Amino acid sequence: MSAIERPTWLDRVRARPRLRTAIAAALPVGFVTILLFIPYVLLLVHSFWRLKGGVITHELTLENYQRLFGTELYPNTILFSAGVAIRVTLFSLLLAYPLAYLLAFKVKRHKQLMYMAVIIPLWVSYLVRAYAWKIILGQSGILNGLLQAAGLTHEPLTFLLYSRWAVILALTHIYTPFTLMPIYAVLEAIPPALKEASQDLYANRWQTFRRIVLPLSLPGVLAGSTFAFVLSMGDFLAPQLLGGNDSALMVSNLVWSLFGVAYNWPLGAAVSVIVLLLTLFLLWLANRVETAMNYAGQTVGQAGGRTVGLSGRGV
Amino acid sequence: MTTPYDGSLDLDKLTQRHETFRMPILELHRLTKRFGDFAAVDDLSLDIAAGEFLTLLGASGSGKTTTLRMIAGFEPPTSGEILMAGTPIAALPPFKRDINTVFQHYALFPHMSVRENIAYGLRMRRVPAAEREERVSKAIAMVKLDQLGARSPRQLSGGQQQRVALARALVNRPRVLLLDEPLGALDLKLRKEMQLELKHLQTHLGITFVYVTHDQEEALTMSDRIVLMRQGRIAQVGTPRDLYDRPASRYVADFIGETNLLPGTVVESTDGVATLRMGDATLRGLTEGPLAAGSEAWLTVRPEAIELSGGAAPAGYNAVTGTVADAVYAGSALRVHVTLSGGRRLVANVPSGTSCTHGATVTLAWPMAQGRCVGD
Repeated sequence: MSAIERPTWLDRVRARPRLRTAIAAALPVGFVTILLFIPYVLLLVHSFWRLKGGVITHELTLENYQRLFGTELYPNTILFSAGVAIRVTLFSLLLAYPLAYLLAFKVKRHKQLMYMAVIIPLWVSYLVRAYAWKIILGQSGILNGLLQAAGLTHEPLTFLLYSRWAVILALTHIYTPFTLMPIYAVLEAIPPALKEASQDLYANRWQTFRRIVLPLSLPGVLAGSTFAFVLSMGDFLAPQLLGGNDSALMVSNLVWSLFGVAYNWPLGAAVSVIVLLLTLFLLWLANRVETAMNYAGQTVGQAGGRTVGLSGRGV
Repeated sequence: MTTPYDGSLDLDKLTQRHETFRMPILELHRLTKRFGDFAAVDDLSLDIAAGEFLTLLGASGSGKTTTLRMIAGFEPPTSGEILMAGTPIAALPPFKRDINTVFQHYALFPHMSVRENIAYGLRMRRVPAAEREERVSKAIAMVKLDQLGARSPRQLSGGQQQRVALARALVNRPRVLLLDEPLGALDLKLRKEMQLELKHLQTHLGITFVYVTHDQEEALTMSDRIVLMRQGRIAQVGTPRDLYDRPASRYVADFIGETNLLPGTVVESTDGVATLRMGDATLRGLTEGPLAAGSEAWLTVRPEAIELSGGAAPAGYNAVTGTVADAVYAGSALRVHVTLSGGRRLVANVPSGTSCTHGATVTLAWPMAQGRCVGD
């Protein structure tokens, strides 16, 4: 007869589900608390402190917010950033949707390879990609070289680089893959039988796209747009490297200079808080719309919300 | 070699056929579909009569679904032609065919209500709103979903979704309805109910049904005719009774219903009766075509045709002896498994009152006309 085993301490822990959960959750919760939650609280607190003679005093005040909304510069910069972000979102969608559609439905062979080709730029450092545009658009850059070699221009075009369009171009390039991924995931999840059923019921290709594929892919479009908008709204490098007189200053650059050169942490914090709130509002809104779409009978498009997720890096 | 159908019609043949039979609504003419080297459907020709319930039956990979998809227009045939009421349609896209499909997993549009799903085809055909609404309401009533029009498909049970799919197709009053294993996802009880309902609906509406299934019982229950497919070709076409009582080959006999197959060598085959030698036993059975003497053949006999007897078999009977290996009570019948001297097993369904001891030597006998000799 074999001896009956006694429970070890590990067995005892295993037998207590709550303790087990607590141990498993400790690390991620600690991580989020220390690296995200506490910094955000500090930011919020800073935005209510006062800067007096170049020194931050721990007096509570609304001065920073009054100054933020009282000076044209701050709301204008936020609006300008939003304007850039909206354009980037639109251009990304225009590029990403057809590409995702082709990948999901038309490409039969080497599908994974093609998908990787679209995604691979994400592996290249963001800084490198932004610099690449500097090289392409610069006065002695590739584009000007080509134009001159082709005899189309005689002098380098100077408006290419250092303009808002250069910023929008670079950001569109950088964030299009982020837009593509959720759209592709949603399109891939549409059962081919739905398209066949539509054609079986006398809908031609265009009608099938408009009435079946497009509505079912909206959650992916929404997720992709949210990515593009939130990420480019908070972008720092592209305006820094490629922006001109009118466009070097997006909201992140403003916050950076307030924390840096100006040493006005409280005001910088206040701007950050406002942008953070705006972003959170957008995410909340996108989530609400997505839930509503799901409720309307969406069973196939869930890849848009569930697996890809509506999460931005924030600002 | 298959030659593509040139589009011309043999008028003589057509009028002749028209006089003797109903005009076929669909004609599949030397239809072939290749995927690479693999021929999913191989030179298949078939006429489907208007108003009949035709089942394409076969194991998976037999080409039944590919055939259906070619009729629907989802797969272009590699060669061959499909005629609908005499007009070639193989080049038409699905949305221009007067054919509707009930899909295997229903393929209901998840972002539309039940009503919107059913109205979809009429909307695409620009049927006026008033007529459309009326027809949709009738279709919903026909499949008994009156209260559920506003629901989303995912709020429905499998059986209800099945009905929506049916209504969505039938509301368009197609000339031909294709059904691709429509009951496959339902539980047994519901499936039996739906089988009867589908059959009634088909008889009542007079629409031609082309039904794909791998379930031979389902095919036997519902069909006017069954096309049993094997490796992209037709193994046998006929009424359920034809296939059950007069299988053309070992494959058909084995596929349709339960049967005993006894392999043997053909001794002689004349006047529709063949004699097979199996070990030291000589068995006789009916045969359709003559079987070549000396060739391999099978004698198929259904378990319910076999009787258990203690002594010698009556004249005109085939008889084999063996020992009882198992006797399983199955309610209405006793299923007796008998091991023959060669080691081969036979199953006989005998009245459940029969007494039968394990290990006893018994004689199994069946009338000669109940056995059929077939090739592979």
